[in-house]
Amino acid sequence: MLSALKFQRTSRHFSCLRLLHKSAVEVQERPAPEETITSSFGGFIHLVHPGQLSDTVLHRSKRMILDSIGVGLLGSSSHVFELALQHCQQMYAPDYISSVFGRRHTRLSPSLAAFVNGVAVHSMDFDDTWHPATHPSGAVLPALLAIAQMLPGNAKPSGMDLLLAFNVGIEIQGRLMRFSNEAQNIPNRFHPPTVVGPLGSAAACSRLLSLDRSQCSNALAIAASLAGAPMANAATQSKPLHIGNAARLGLEAALLASRGLEASTLILDSTPGCAGFSAFYNDYLPQALPSPVEQDPRFLLEDQDIAFKRFPAHLGMHWVADAACAARELLVNTVGGFHPSMIQNILLRIPLSKYINRPFPESEHQARHSFQFNACTALLDGEVSVQSFSPAFLDRPELLSLLSRVQVEHPQDNPANFNKMYAEVLVTLTTGDVLKGRCDTFYGHWRKPLSRDSLLKKFRANAETVLPGERVEAIIDAVENIEDMQDCSHLTMHLE
Amino acid sequence: MLRKTVTESFGATIEGLKASHLTETWDCLAPTPVYSKKSYNNSKVYNARKASTVWGNSNIPLLPQYAAFVNGVAVHSMDFDDTWYPAIHPSGAVLPAVLALAEVLPQQSKPSGMDLLLAFNVGIEVQGRLMRFSKEASNIPKRFHPPAVVGTMGSAAATSKLLHMGSAQYREVLAIAASYSGAPMTNAATQTKPLHIGNAARRGLEASYLALLGLEGNKNILDMKSGFGAFYTDYTPDMLPGLDSYRWVLEDQDVAIKRFPAHLGMHWVADAATALRMKLLEKNLPLVKIKKVVLKVPDARYVNRPFPASEHEARHSFQFNACTALVDGSISEESFSDLNLHRQEIRDLLEKVLIENPHDNHSNFDTMYCEVGVEMHTGETITERCNTFYGHWREPLQYDLLKKFKANASTVLSMEAVQGIIDTVANLEKVTDCAVLSSYLQVKEKTN
Repeated sequence: MLSALKFQRTSRHFSCLRLLHKSAVEVQERPAPEETITSSFGGFIHLVHPGQLSDTVLHRSKRMILDSIGVGLLGSSSHVFELALQHCQQMYAPDYISSVFGRRHTRLSPSLAAFVNGVAVHSMDFDDTWHPATHPSGAVLPALLAIAQMLPGNAKPSGMDLLLAFNVGIEIQGRLMRFSNEAQNIPNRFHPPTVVGPLGSAAACSRLLSLDRSQCSNALAIAASLAGAPMANAATQSKPLHIGNAARLGLEAALLASRGLEASTLILDSTPGCAGFSAFYNDYLPQALPSPVEQDPRFLLEDQDIAFKRFPAHLGMHWVADAACAARELLVNTVGGFHPSMIQNILLRIPLSKYINRPFPESEHQARHSFQFNACTALLDGEVSVQSFSPAFLDRPELLSLLSRVQVEHPQDNPANFNKMYAEVLVTLTTGDVLKGRCDTFYGHWRKPLSRDSLLKKFRANAETVLPGERVEAIIDAVENIEDMQDCSHLTMHLE
Repeated sequence: MLRKTVTESFGATIEGLKASHLTETWDCLAPTPVYSKKSYNNSKVYNARKASTVWGNSNIPLLPQYAAFVNGVAVHSMDFDDTWYPAIHPSGAVLPAVLALAEVLPQQSKPSGMDLLLAFNVGIEVQGRLMRFSKEASNIPKRFHPPAVVGTMGSAAATSKLLHMGSAQYREVLAIAASYSGAPMTNAATQTKPLHIGNAARRGLEASYLALLGLEGNKNILDMKSGFGAFYTDYTPDMLPGLDSYRWVLEDQDVAIKRFPAHLGMHWVADAATALRMKLLEKNLPLVKIKKVVLKVPDARYVNRPFPASEHEARHSFQFNACTALVDGSISEESFSDLNLHRQEIRDLLEKVLIENPHDNHSNFDTMYCEVGVEMHTGETITERCNTFYGHWREPLQYDLLKKFKANASTVLSMEAVQGIIDTVANLEKVTDCAVLSSYLQVKEKTN
């Protein structure tokens, strides 16, 4: 070892005296570890401390935790969750450690619990969405809850530890997405939760496990080799596994790093000719994270809040639903009532995105990703809800009839971007009148956040499908006061 | 009738390929009777308590996914496994998965040696076909490590074939597997690289299990740019040929087998450097009198490392392998040990190495060459060139394949087990229960 170090110093001296080939010099004069982007991320994860979480960040992240739990509990009643759980119970030996949402007496190994709970959270596309677009919480929270139960009794993390680790996981995801302009728009190649999610989970778990700086960097690098799933599987039954696997694989990466597994020390840096994390993007401009020791970090969540969904569908659907409801209200006010036969045709003015443009969706998954379906449901029922995607509602003749009257337009000024898009629903009546509803910012978007009451209403509605009332209230209480909790694994146990 | 999609053609082909399609390399056998197995009752197919072998270790049975993982890691741990063209390590992603799965299938449906051979070949074939959907794939990769992209799909295809699914289910398997694919290149040449193959094996198997349970993905996964196309910048998928006269990719394109554990590119430079060393010896020219070493190699950052700092980097360094071959006359497993990595004579020689990337030398395992040239202090220059190293598909290993196997396997298994495996594989199509192969993998060398 010593001879290698000696060699390094000598070789730098030589490079001045002798004319080494240009590319050799470039490679040789790599910056010292402290100076790489990858290492700055490792340093951030390792060094940031609870005192650096501002009130805004604490407040917002607790809302995210509560919403994710509620959505996960509801999701535990879904078919895909059941399938994933069966898979884990049958294909893997029993390992009674970490809790599973909504299932008493069922525990799995930490990585499998992270997997199924992640699947639950994303099973109905009901979980939170950020900008640039990803679902950050589902990739992180299930992994942390699982790890908390894995740690021994005398080393249980506190509620504050959990909060900090959670915010680390969210922050890392946000930072990574800012490395690419491509990431600003609705994705069309890789499903973002599968790109940044595993690294977010790896970061959060590294934090909760108190790994050292270089282990934190390695965890990120190991996770990168587990990242990336194509968009085409979104809007299918497989999509929830994207989040489930992000949580699970990030957790595994952290555990492997804790055992000393090493990976590329330049994974986040720009390495042309031999791609690192840049493999997932066409344009990649990474930036180092400032050291939390030198200055208090400003978490992205401070400046960019999250969107919570009011019904379980792709975020874009919320604009079109609010616009359709506005049109419907106009209709009711003008004409005194509503009946689908009044409608001649419907025009949707929406962003261009193949992924969510489905005139006749054939499954609940496709319906959650269909501008047309959500617009018509909102017109017909005055709202879109959990029920709207059940088989009975999917196949209604009156809905299908409306769907056949829909056309779409993609105005130039309507980009496929959650910060800038809008939706317009123009209903032409048989009388010839045209009624227009428009939505620039739906209720639940970060520009118009859900009130505490609305968020709790959603949580209660979700959680009560699976848990008794007192337990639901206990969870609300626990999350709202999580920074005072001594042992955060108690939270997980409430969720069984 | 709707036009078939590429994904559908894959599903139909995986289902339709039979033992009779395997060509004369395995002797012409009467086609085995076609039987369709209904979906197994869950508890009959897989029992979470049944375990698979960790190669070379009788004490730690693991669940098949984990056995596939660790054995896959083992196969790729030293970059010693086979390489194909376009560039991929096809076997490591497939063999561990099918062997592990074969061990846990219920007694009444134990796969035969022929079943194993067929499933294995399906896994290789799918990888080969997928690699041909992109021109980018023909060159030494820069973005995603190919075993992590197509390896998972190969393992999924092979394991699902062993499970006798229906054509529609094969499509779901491929779709689910696609979501498990992909890892960036920069983790190759690190300690994490072997996990790329391990994970490909394991996740392909998991995709098969999930499909058996009814999980669905995108039925057109191979057709879409936002599907499997996500991993390539140029993606043009094609239907597979009809089954009546099926020609396997392996028929027309053999694999390369490595003689020492390093990236394939190193083999060209090693052969050239070894030949050069012979010349130096003949002319009585000592290495210390070398002023300059010039390597004319393809431009590939991934394997251009002037001063590798770890065994993983050394396996991916034109410079290191050239110098080792010049100093020792050959490269072996030992060459990458810590001790040998840091030898002064190697380090001294590395200082003198320059790399050149001639325009006519493409980063492509089919067309690349390596030229090693030395300039002595006297001014004399000597050059040697290697176009095709011994072990490449154009110059396949002969007896040396068995020699390599014996040398490797005997580090861990007893001599009887080593011979047992050789015999079993040579006659695999006649074996009735292929799990016998796995049982040999457990027979440890008696340690003193």
